[in-house]
Amino acid sequence: MMLPYLIIIPLFGAFATPIVGLAGRKAREPWAIFITALTLGVAAELFYTVWKSGEILVYTLGAKSPLGQGVGFPIRIVWEVDLLGALFALMVTFIAFVAVLYSSEYMKHDTGLEKYYTLVLVLEVGMLGIAITGDLFNFYVFLEIMSIASYALVAFRNDTWEGIEAGIKYMFTGSLASSFILLGIVLLYGQYGTLTMAYLAKMIAENPTFTAKVALGLLAGGLLFKSGAVPVHMWLADAHPAAPSSISAMLSGLVIKIGGTYALARLAFSVFGMGVSTKTVGWIIILFACATLIVGNAMAIIQTDMKRLFAFSSVGQIGYILLGIGIGLAAYGSDVGNVALAGAIYHTVNHAIMKALLFLVAGAVIHQLGTKNLNELSGIARKMPVTSFAFLVGAAAIIGLPPLNGFASKWLIYESSALFNPFLAAIAIIGTAFCTAAYIRVLFTFFGRPSERVMNATEPGKAMLVPMLILVLAIIVMGLFPWVISEKVMIPAAKTLENAGAYVTALLGGA
Amino acid sequence: MFGYWDALYFVYVFGIGLLISYVIYKWAERTSTGTRRTGDGTKIFLSGEDQDRVIPQFEHFRGYVTGRHVMWGLIRGINRMFIAFRREHTGLLSDYVSYLLVTTAIIVGALIVWG
Amino acid sequence: MIPFQFITAFLLMTMGIYALLYKRNLIKLVLALDIIDSGIHLLLISFGYRIEAGQIPTAPIYTGYETVKSAMVAPLPQALTLTSIVIGVCVLSLAMALTINAYRHYGSLDVNKLRRLRG
Repeated sequence: MMLPYLIIIPLFGAFATPIVGLAGRKAREPWAIFITALTLGVAAELFYTVWKSGEILVYTLGAKSPLGQGVGFPIRIVWEVDLLGALFALMVTFIAFVAVLYSSEYMKHDTGLEKYYTLVLVLEVGMLGIAITGDLFNFYVFLEIMSIASYALVAFRNDTWEGIEAGIKYMFTGSLASSFILLGIVLLYGQYGTLTMAYLAKMIAENPTFTAKVALGLLAGGLLFKSGAVPVHMWLADAHPAAPSSISAMLSGLVIKIGGTYALARLAFSVFGMGVSTKTVGWIIILFACATLIVGNAMAIIQTDMKRLFAFSSVGQIGYILLGIGIGLAAYGSDVGNVALAGAIYHTVNHAIMKALLFLVAGAVIHQLGTKNLNELSGIARKMPVTSFAFLVGAAAIIGLPPLNGFASKWLIYESSALFNPFLAAIAIIGTAFCTAAYIRVLFTFFGRPSERVMNATEPGKAMLVPMLILVLAIIVMGLFPWVISEKVMIPAAKTLENAGAYVTALLGGA
Repeated sequence: MFGYWDALYFVYVFGIGLLISYVIYKWAERTSTGTRRTGDGTKIFLSGEDQDRVIPQFEHFRGYVTGRHVMWGLIRGINRMFIAFRREHTGLLSDYVSYLLVTTAIIVGALIVWG
Repeated sequence: MIPFQFITAFLLMTMGIYALLYKRNLIKLVLALDIIDSGIHLLLISFGYRIEAGQIPTAPIYTGYETVKSAMVAPLPQALTLTSIVIGVCVLSLAMALTINAYRHYGSLDVNKLRRLRG
């Protein structure tokens, strides 16, 4: 059983980093890379086990069985990993490994690096915990671990006003959203007297009360905030550009998905799926998704700050994921819903890779030129060809140009939304048009005539180029085999998420 | 599932397209009696802008065909929408909090009524 | 009839949200976050309080259970509240650190002065 090591290794690594840092300034980066690589190995092993067997792994903390002595209901904290959780754990560890590898050179000129690596590993722990947990309060604790680490990392460069201002806005509103989530969990506990997600799902299916609906509303509001849906996307556009670029890659690629859309899908399907009308929940999410698609992608066009443009583009891409989840809920049980959900899961993984790549490119440009203003960056393709190639691949993938990976997932979402309601497909395509316009502006800037500022620019070092090339390779390989990945991984993952009954019986036995 | 896509077909189509454009390029060069080698034929025009034209008193802008110059038609066309979106993004903490409250209230209300 | 603890808890949360919306001093906003948290903690604690056979419940300490001969409150909400308080302290200390840094950069604690990021 490798599951506990998924949390133990990065948690140990996080709090051992300051001690390792005593051994010398050169010891911290290899330590962090080693810990993240080890976690990636554990996650890959876990994903292979779950994918091979097709079962749901249940791990009880501190005992053999989650059920209490002499009582027929679970009283202990459990972790419950199905294919979706294992897939997202693999995604988290992969992007975290790449980001840590990248920051070994990118953050070289900053001070306080042992705190930086501690916070990065704590952020990874929080996200992995959310992916594997099966207990609501445990979920809240991991969510707060993740959120606090990201508040601190957004404000990491506290000598700039941008980081502090974005950090304050992110922190105050994010804490209020966390309070809503906690209030929802408390109301559920008060009503049903349990916190285990599987048992709670059974109780809600038997007796859906008014309190459960209010609690779902509070949870959904808080989680939509954490995922950056419009109209609560404003913190995202402020906070993600202000963080160091390796952190922006993790925030934009992982945090808004694991802490936002994944948690929302998990709660809506596995916990509330059998009790509350999925059609209503689905349509609420679809309406927010439509607003997100239009506003996020449109605002990306008029930005002059490169990282802010990418952050708004993240908002827009979250719209596709929410649209897929919403259609999956509204057309629950049908083929259309299944494909939409598979598209949402696929797009989550794809967007994590693409947006991480784009933010790493932005970081390379900032590191070499010291500016992220698009008006000053004209023509860097002549001086930094590898970086520009990486950007070209990332931009083409995020627009959804075949044969790169973004096409397959967007195609699944367009296809299912067109079958569900053609109006939604039209909105999704308008969003893509805006997205294309935004990235073409950056592309023209990169390939235009060189300005004076970029004349002396050089390529970044190997430690920054290698992570980018790893991600480029991942995009191209995933783009060449979209149908295999979709059939073997994404559709089964969507099926396990839809099958809430199996989630309950895996924990409670045949009851 | 419903539809069918294959990424490799797009690679083939892209390759064939490149081939066709190369053939057209060669054909144009052969029939153009040398105007593409010298003179105005060598210039690139982006967004209809002549990159060598010098406007008096705007010499420092000369030849920068960058991201600012593309998509201006789109931005000008729906400028009103952009102004509205920018105006909503005030940067005030209380606005962010009130948007969060309104969102949560809408969801709770919808769930109570139709849930 | 709604128990008075619930009313107090929701009153506390409303107070905190009011302060987050209408107060401008950053330190007051930090206090507002704490007040919202306190309201939720009060709600959580009051869920564990129950009166069995007219006896006032005691703290859930197992060692003296046979001698006390009275009902105990549910132990789980207390454990949850302790965890939540620890998280709240963490958020509060980080918020105070950010407030100090904001004062250094902007020379003011007015949150409405922090609006260089927009559009």
